[in-house]
Amino acid sequence: MPSTPLALKLYRFLLKLYPAGFRDDYAGPMEREFRDELAESSGGLALAKLWVRLLTDLAVSIPLQFSRELSQDARHTLRLWANRPGQTGFAILALAIGIGANTGVFSVVNALLLRSLPFHGPSHLAAFGTFLPPHHSAREFHEWRKQQGAYLADAALIEQFDVNLGTVQNQVRAHLSYTSWNFFAVLGAQPALGRWFRDGEDAPGENALAVISYGLWQQLFAGDQRALGSTIRVNGKPLTIVGVAPAGFNYPNHSDLWIAADYSPGNNGWQTIARLQPGITWPQARAAFALEADRLWPRRDELGNSEPDPRMTSLQDELAGPVKNASLLLLAAVVLILLIACSNLANLLMARSADRATELSIRSALGASRARIVQQLLTECLLLSFVAAIAGLLVAFWTTSIATKIQPPPLSTQSYSILDGHVLAFAVAAAIASSVFFGALPSLYAGRIHAFGARAAGGSRGARLIRETLVAAQVMLTIILLTASVSVGRAFVSLMKTERGFAAKGLVTVSVSLDGTTRGVAGHQLPYFEQALDRIRRLPGVRSASETEFLPLDATGFVGGPFGFDGRPAKLNSTMIPVLSDYFKTMGGRILYGREFTDAEVRSDAQVVVVNERFAKEFGSAADALEHEVTIGESAPRKIIGVVTGMDYMTDTMDTAHSNQIFIPAHSPGGFVSTFVARVDGRAEDSLPAIRDTIRSVDSQVPVFGVKTMEQRMADAVARPKFYRTAILFFAGFALFLAVIGIYGVVSYAVALRTHEMGVRLALGATPVGLRGKMLWQGLLTVVAGATFGIAGAMLTGRFLESLVVGAKSVDLATLILSFFLIALVASGSIWAGSRRIAQLDILDILRIE
Amino acid sequence: MSLDDRKTANHLTPLSPAFFHILLSLGEGERHGYALKREISRRTGGTLKLGPGMLYGSINKMLALGLIEESDDRPDAHLDDERRRYYRITSYGRKVAQAEAARMRELARLAAATFGAPKHA
Repeated sequence: MPSTPLALKLYRFLLKLYPAGFRDDYAGPMEREFRDELAESSGGLALAKLWVRLLTDLAVSIPLQFSRELSQDARHTLRLWANRPGQTGFAILALAIGIGANTGVFSVVNALLLRSLPFHGPSHLAAFGTFLPPHHSAREFHEWRKQQGAYLADAALIEQFDVNLGTVQNQVRAHLSYTSWNFFAVLGAQPALGRWFRDGEDAPGENALAVISYGLWQQLFAGDQRALGSTIRVNGKPLTIVGVAPAGFNYPNHSDLWIAADYSPGNNGWQTIARLQPGITWPQARAAFALEADRLWPRRDELGNSEPDPRMTSLQDELAGPVKNASLLLLAAVVLILLIACSNLANLLMARSADRATELSIRSALGASRARIVQQLLTECLLLSFVAAIAGLLVAFWTTSIATKIQPPPLSTQSYSILDGHVLAFAVAAAIASSVFFGALPSLYAGRIHAFGARAAGGSRGARLIRETLVAAQVMLTIILLTASVSVGRAFVSLMKTERGFAAKGLVTVSVSLDGTTRGVAGHQLPYFEQALDRIRRLPGVRSASETEFLPLDATGFVGGPFGFDGRPAKLNSTMIPVLSDYFKTMGGRILYGREFTDAEVRSDAQVVVVNERFAKEFGSAADALEHEVTIGESAPRKIIGVVTGMDYMTDTMDTAHSNQIFIPAHSPGGFVSTFVARVDGRAEDSLPAIRDTIRSVDSQVPVFGVKTMEQRMADAVARPKFYRTAILFFAGFALFLAVIGIYGVVSYAVALRTHEMGVRLALGATPVGLRGKMLWQGLLTVVAGATFGIAGAMLTGRFLESLVVGAKSVDLATLILSFFLIALVASGSIWAGSRRIAQLDILDILRIE
Repeated sequence: MSLDDRKTANHLTPLSPAFFHILLSLGEGERHGYALKREISRRTGGTLKLGPGMLYGSINKMLALGLIEESDDRPDAHLDDERRRYYRITSYGRKVAQAEAARMRELARLAAATFGAPKHA
């Protein structure tokens, strides 16, 4: 029959799908049977029937046999684990941390960088940096926008504020965005209810309109459709609701509502987003954008300002911006950890297969084929990865919950989830990749045990080279992580050591906003604050209290300008901070010369200032600055009555404690983010409720928020660098621990392999100490090779870190040498401990075996 | 030993039809896989046709349970293919088959008491 060879070939191929054990035993008889059946089936129909029967049989019996053999192997594996609980526990822990940390960090990277934004055509959305189109009126902006048709399909303006929302009696704080009328059209979003703004509705007189978020709609109107057409008050101004945004839509920056823009000349607080023309590539669009920027500001380079060039980035990159690099850094660190964990486990399993040479040889003698043994070992590895992956999901869950606190995603739809399809796929891939990686090597090696016997295989040059390469790679990765942790750790220490110009301990802070309240009217603000302060100061345990329009550590919404000293301009712009009396006393600031403001000076709007030391020193000695004048433009000059140590307003830049700061009496406070500060006896936390309630009691219509101790604010401000420091330190410690175990494992294994050789050497007069010294020397050579690459890697990583973590310095020579010696020391300890078997060798026993 | 065997024999019942028919066929003498399959098909009037995977899967499991064993006695090499394997029933296998038969008898008795004996019985 001409079809026989082909049919037989096909059947043989299908037989290969059975698990190894079954195949070893029955492939022969089954093939024989197939030949018989084939011979008996004549005619196309009979042949077709035969194949249908055979294929059905295969479809049922292959999974059945697999489940039988796998459960057999799994039971065997569990018995092995029970015999070595320590080794198994360690392997699972190492892999669980490796897989879990990878999955957790990947879920962050996935949410921020990989998952598309929840807008129409997100890859065509752009954000502008250091660039503002003409924006002094609606007409000016929309005319400009329509001229950009060569590369932009559309562009929109946004400006964000925190506002008071609600009726006079019941105000809440909300985040609001002013937008040009076409904002939603640029993003390509559809309203859940009602409509978006229409052409011309961002013009003066037309713009008393609002779109509210889905959450606000539920909160204020319980999802009632009659919300449309209702009036909502923003800072006391009535607006008509025309639409509701879809659920999850909260761009930009967790906005609760959007209002048609109110353009005014000189307002530079806008951000610009745009959509590229279809068919335009990013390089083309960037080139056209650069031309436009040059056209608008042809001479900007000559102004000598240090601002970066105008740039156009994708909206996704812009949103991920602050945390993108940090997330990638962490991802790199956890991938290194996973690599180390895998190479370590490969070593462990190779050593273990050698230990099990006898067991495997017996099984092989009993008829188990190489494929069967490899299958058994692979099952062990897969099971290990599977258990580790389950445990890893717990680690991942923990990692993402920390990440959510430390670096919350910019959009609610970007929430970090380990139950995301991509992330789960990543976890599964990580588990399988690691099991194949560390399962494949020992398995290949197990194959050789079968062929040549354990000693010959383990001692072979190739196997030894693989083991030593793995150790060297571990040493390399460990040094990179160690030096990176030193670098990040130092940056954190210097951040914590920064002179902040105030004493956080025992300080209570509570913010209020007078916007839209009856207290916000000119002449009514100061009495409100004085009344509140009077009540706070009378509370038991309160030593002093004051108020500022900008609290340290809070870098948003500063005003200031090119202040000068007796008419001479300063090199840097200064920040202007309105405060009430007793401010420096309350904050624990240091008054170097002179004094701070009195109540009378605040009330009378006296033309006096307190400057920081940095500003004063620019024009001579700080002590001589008193009685001189601070000047700005055409405004009346102000007399300097005090010089203080500057306060740290921005934690992101290390140098801001030394920026120019001008403090003025807050004659009409309440215009910005007004914050009460109070210094109390005892724990600041305990005084929070009393002070909050006292402020509320003055006027219940004024919203009270940001009720926190200064220490809580500090903790929030340094939470992110602290997290990086802790994470990198943890990974470095873990890597070192893995390296120790890895080196120890390899050395004890090498000793086990060379027992006979060692015995002969001892018989010939070598001393155990001499032999161990030789092993130490050989082992250290590998470590040094790895460390050399590690140092090179650390120097490259250092450069990268410098650009990534504020204050991180590329590692210095001392750190490199120190980490080199640390790892050499740790490695020596491991090698010495691993070779202790040599001292216990009994020469007679070894030689008797011969 | 025999008491233990009886106990475990009862534990294995009810047997799957494939197991029981394999034991029945081997009760008459040694057979190789393909012969077993044909014999079972003949006995059941073609209603139980075991594919090779299911047949050897059952054989594998029965070997592990000790119900059958591989036979070393082979017919003349000229008449046979060395790839064929011959199986025979073990004494334990006989006990299990008997236990299964007893179980079926008891079932049949119960059924007869409830529904009446079938006419052709």
